[in-house]
Amino acid sequence: MLNRVVVTGYGAVTPLGLNVDDTWRNLVAGVSGVGYISLFDATDFKVKIAAEVKDFDPAAHLDPTAARRNDRFAQFALVAGIQAIDAAGLKVDDANRYDIGVLIGSGVGGLDSLTQQLDVLKTRGPTRVSPFLVPMMIADSASSQVSIKMGIMGANFGLISACATGTDALGIAYKMIKWGEIKAMVAGGADAAVTPVGFAGFTQAGALSRNNEPQKASRPFDMERDGFVVGEGAAVLVLENLDYARSRGASIIAEIVGYGATSDAFHITQPLENGEAAAKAIELALAGVDCKKVGYINAHGTSTPLNDASETKAIKKAFGDRAYKIPISSAKSMLGHMMGAAGAIEAVVCCKVINEGIIPPTVNLEHPDPECDLDYVPNVARDGDVRIAISNSFGFGGHNSVIAIGRYDGQ
Amino acid sequence: MNVFEEVKKALCKASAGLDESKVVSGALLKDDLDIDSLDLVEVAMTLEDTFNLTLPEDEMENIRTVGDIVSVIEARLKVQSA
Repeated sequence: MLNRVVVTGYGAVTPLGLNVDDTWRNLVAGVSGVGYISLFDATDFKVKIAAEVKDFDPAAHLDPTAARRNDRFAQFALVAGIQAIDAAGLKVDDANRYDIGVLIGSGVGGLDSLTQQLDVLKTRGPTRVSPFLVPMMIADSASSQVSIKMGIMGANFGLISACATGTDALGIAYKMIKWGEIKAMVAGGADAAVTPVGFAGFTQAGALSRNNEPQKASRPFDMERDGFVVGEGAAVLVLENLDYARSRGASIIAEIVGYGATSDAFHITQPLENGEAAAKAIELALAGVDCKKVGYINAHGTSTPLNDASETKAIKKAFGDRAYKIPISSAKSMLGHMMGAAGAIEAVVCCKVINEGIIPPTVNLEHPDPECDLDYVPNVARDGDVRIAISNSFGFGGHNSVIAIGRYDGQ
Repeated sequence: MNVFEEVKKALCKASAGLDESKVVSGALLKDDLDIDSLDLVEVAMTLEDTFNLTLPEDEMENIRTVGDIVSVIEARLKVQSA
């Protein structure tokens, strides 16, 4: 028998706050988390802006060893993971520790730790490289550190699909619970790619906005969009078998009602222009539900010329004429692109939209692009009674991943 | 340079929050101080820099107590000054 899967808790560390509540409040207010880079000296870089997590002192959240022995992305994951588990009221003990797993993905893992130790290798030689390089660099350290911290002993692994990582992590966790392999999963994504080498690489690939007016640079679906803004952070959700959640008296936030994933099989950085595979992913995610109930789409909406146009085509292909009636917004207009964490925070946004009845806007949408002619909730949040929301995530590599989240009906 | 004091410093640097009063010659690294094999590599690197010497891997492998580290360093210092 297939199980129903519900969300019972979430946590987040984002450019708009060190928890979900602050992040949500800022998203609804249309606040941009983008600013000039402070994490490294960007003087020689063409792109000088990012959506950094601000005022994050790992020592304030984690014990001194965890603070020092984890890369920034894993610190984010630990903080968001602990918040999520606390919010879910999930007590991990000998009776359930094998029934709970962790799946927190990361696009680039400990890139900063790797590059720092590469410098050590070059300047001081191999015997001075930190014994903690490997544990800090491996992308699965995010999941493992949460498992170690919380005593969770079920399946524990990472997953990588570039900018679709967070959505795929939630999707696979959802399937594991649906198929009865595990009762609960602590799932999401984390990344901290505001590093010199990461920035140089993304810039050379032509992916980043060259707009050096920070708050205006991320402008999804706008005519003058010219690339994405790198963000960072983590978001983690607790997904559970509905029966298990009920048996322990958990309060239920929302229900995961579908997940779909496809590949463009086209190009390593460019999306398939006609949006065909992305549309298929949306259809797969909605295979088990009435797609007429979809009342909100959290767009991938990166603010690159190609993504926003092809995503618009994908939405039209999947929903037909109804595409024009569904409010769509891009959280990346304010959060920047949190990379591996993007899909996870955007799933949190979908849960909030469903429960709060408010749809956050797409900011900086000032000059409509004729190719992007849907309702992107420009600049100002709006009320909305949403039964089902979907979150689109697409990634370098041709990944198209979509998760569908529904209001929990109490039955 | 007082070898024991430098070892103590290196241990405290590697393990933030380590209770200094527990760092005595007979303290077991793993059981008493929660210093694992990765921490020990970092401690050795710090001490190699401090004393400008190389600690042989085979000797480091047998280390169990704070005093063991001190002995290995003192032995290397003697070899070097001889």
